[in-house]
Amino acid sequence: MLRKRLTRENLNKWIDGLVASGLRVIAPVRERDGGRGARDGKGGLTLFRPITSSAEIATDYTKTDLPFKEWLFPPTEVILHYRIVDGEPVLEDPEVDATKTVALFLRPCDAAAIPILDSVFGGDYEDEFYMTRRRNLTVVGLSCTEPQPECFCAAVGLSPTSEAGSDILLTPVGDEFLVEVLTEKGEQLVNQYADLFADAGDLTKEQVTEQAIAKMLRKESLPTFAETYSELFEHPVWEEIARKCLGCGVCAYSCPTCHCYDIVDEATLFEGVRCRNWDCCGFALFTLHASGHNPRPTQAHRYRQRVLHKFAYFLQTYGRNMCVGCGRCVIKCPVGMDIYEVVQKVAQASERVGV
Amino acid sequence: MANEVRERNWEPKIVAFVCNWCTYVGADAAGTSRMQYAPNVRIIRFPCTGRIDPLFIIRAFQHGVDGVIVSGCHPGDCHYVSGNLLARRRWIVFRKLMDFLGLDLRRLHFAWVSATEGAKWAHLVNEIVEEVRQAGPAPTWAMPTNGATQIEASLPEIGLPPSPPPELTSQIREIAKQLLGTGEVGVVGYEKATGAREGAATPTFVNKPEDADRLIFNEHCIHNLAVYLTNPLVKKFGKVGIVAKGCDIRSIVGLIQENQIKREDVSIIGVVCNGVVVNGRLADKCVACPVKVPHIYDHLVGDPSSVQTTASEHPLDAQIAYLESLSPEERWNFWMPQFARCIRCYACRAVCPLCYCQPCIAEKHRPQWIPTSPHPQGNLAWNIIRAWHLAGRCVGCGECTRVCPVGIRLDLLNRKLAIEVERAFNYRPGFDPSAPTPLSTHRPDDKEDFIR
Repeated sequence: MLRKRLTRENLNKWIDGLVASGLRVIAPVRERDGGRGARDGKGGLTLFRPITSSAEIATDYTKTDLPFKEWLFPPTEVILHYRIVDGEPVLEDPEVDATKTVALFLRPCDAAAIPILDSVFGGDYEDEFYMTRRRNLTVVGLSCTEPQPECFCAAVGLSPTSEAGSDILLTPVGDEFLVEVLTEKGEQLVNQYADLFADAGDLTKEQVTEQAIAKMLRKESLPTFAETYSELFEHPVWEEIARKCLGCGVCAYSCPTCHCYDIVDEATLFEGVRCRNWDCCGFALFTLHASGHNPRPTQAHRYRQRVLHKFAYFLQTYGRNMCVGCGRCVIKCPVGMDIYEVVQKVAQASERVGV
Repeated sequence: MANEVRERNWEPKIVAFVCNWCTYVGADAAGTSRMQYAPNVRIIRFPCTGRIDPLFIIRAFQHGVDGVIVSGCHPGDCHYVSGNLLARRRWIVFRKLMDFLGLDLRRLHFAWVSATEGAKWAHLVNEIVEEVRQAGPAPTWAMPTNGATQIEASLPEIGLPPSPPPELTSQIREIAKQLLGTGEVGVVGYEKATGAREGAATPTFVNKPEDADRLIFNEHCIHNLAVYLTNPLVKKFGKVGIVAKGCDIRSIVGLIQENQIKREDVSIIGVVCNGVVVNGRLADKCVACPVKVPHIYDHLVGDPSSVQTTASEHPLDAQIAYLESLSPEERWNFWMPQFARCIRCYACRAVCPLCYCQPCIAEKHRPQWIPTSPHPQGNLAWNIIRAWHLAGRCVGCGECTRVCPVGIRLDLLNRKLAIEVERAFNYRPGFDPSAPTPLSTHRPDDKEDFIR
């Protein structure tokens, strides 16, 4: 691993150099909505968007309103075209997005979500759409120095400066950045602009990490249910928790790791497309059978799925839980459902039943 | 080059939705009388104009038509007594909605054409084809390429409301205990949020008297709890008590009006409210609130004389006026980027007490009226239909706007429709549980000046 240092001025030169070299550079950008703003009251929201200059990058935010996920796994995507030609169906593959892309300033929580998505879309079956974009993506992480009250990355095995998922991790130390070059992809981006980077010398991120963790309100390691969920499955605590859940999809759609999707055909008599769209286990329609039977008939069943997928099933399959502690679902939930508290509550309930 | 050719050869494509008894026969009369008129119109026949859902109009534009004509029997001539009069009410409001979204009204026409008026039909079609020709090809349902319109009128700065007196909380607890003492009532109310959201309030459910001490009321009690009255997991309580501000009670009135709940099944703990705090300020809806003292309740909490005077102008009206001062194209370029952000999480629907349909129109797929994909066409269709279905019903509680994760200005759409409904029908939703909703009824003398 290479360790370098970078001044703020050179950081901007580097970014502008990357843009000028023809790469698609995606970074947090503030978008105005003309209203009171999506929660932060600043009259706008912060989203990952392609930039044409380093000056467009937003600075006054802790994390973006939506995670980076939408650039690897878009909310809607055409996976198949079909037409009827002379009475016969003709199938056409859509073009797969292979644009060389640099993603800038993912917080360590968002970056850590990428390997989680990789294990799903690049596992036994390789998803061509996702993996093509993934192979062409280089991730430049940015350590977090101002955790929000909702954040809990330290409770799920990460930290505000953790390297997981980043090819390069920048950590602000004093007036400059410590640059940790973690992969070959990262090295390529740095080597082309070697004169902008100096040796790291004795620059370390330890103090930054400590300070950031100290500011975090919730860092007690969260329990998981991989061993206990079968006993917990019918526990009344689920209904108690889920009674106030309204069954919208904000939590899943603002989650950097949620990856469920729906396949729909949009067609006329003569041609059509097959789309892959985000879906959410909180929707009643998610498991509704054509017969009318719904194996998850109430919100309690659906919310249980959300919690156990993240803290039991995924862990069983892939060896880690499916939450990076970014806290977006907590911030954005219309009725203040808090997954951190929910997991603790379920754990307490499991103690009561002696699991 | 290809585009130029297409533009040079462009002919307006117009769909006419007509009723079976009058306009269809009128159009037929024009044909059998050998009257010549422009061939740009495709006619779709319906039993009655009352059956012509504005959804069809949206669908037509979504599929690329340049103009729409809706036509049926003259008032008084409806073969189903009043289908056309109900339709007229819808047109009055729907037309204003489409105008506000930036649809050039030269593309959207309404007419009364009787079975004998073949000549009127021929003349009308010729006129409309010319108007649509002048308006040009319809705007695409895609992101504008020439940048988004920004609203240059900012919202007024609003301070904080006074904190409600702490005795509200103790009074609510006492009432809840009384209700729960009868053993069959659950109470929906607010409790203090803990942990990360310290200081906020969150919805809660109480079904034992000893738990009633969890209940609170303060300026952070923003949620419209009326949404829980139709929630299956809450209905299990049987009769429900509910802590409700005046704005929330307006939603409860809506649910009673629309037969979703029975008045006797809900025990309303009405709270005198000087306003709630959203994003660190007084919520927009509270500035000109007409129901700081609840208008319908079973138990009243708080002192009506503590209510502070209310401003007369709604804070959103300046922004609405600004948008109205723009050209349709500029308005379109405001709304398209707003809707393009939509990720179809349906939080707007989930928090809305009046979005109780099971299934929602967006979930119906035979046919698929609203594309479920979050692409511009699907998002535009969804956001128009959401606003439209709430026209004359939305009480302006602002929850949809508060929870939208991508900051879509649903508040402006809802407010605009409320203004138009009040102007046209002198009706404000959520006050009279026995009144019919304005778009489910009609008056023979409903005023309009646009039907030909």
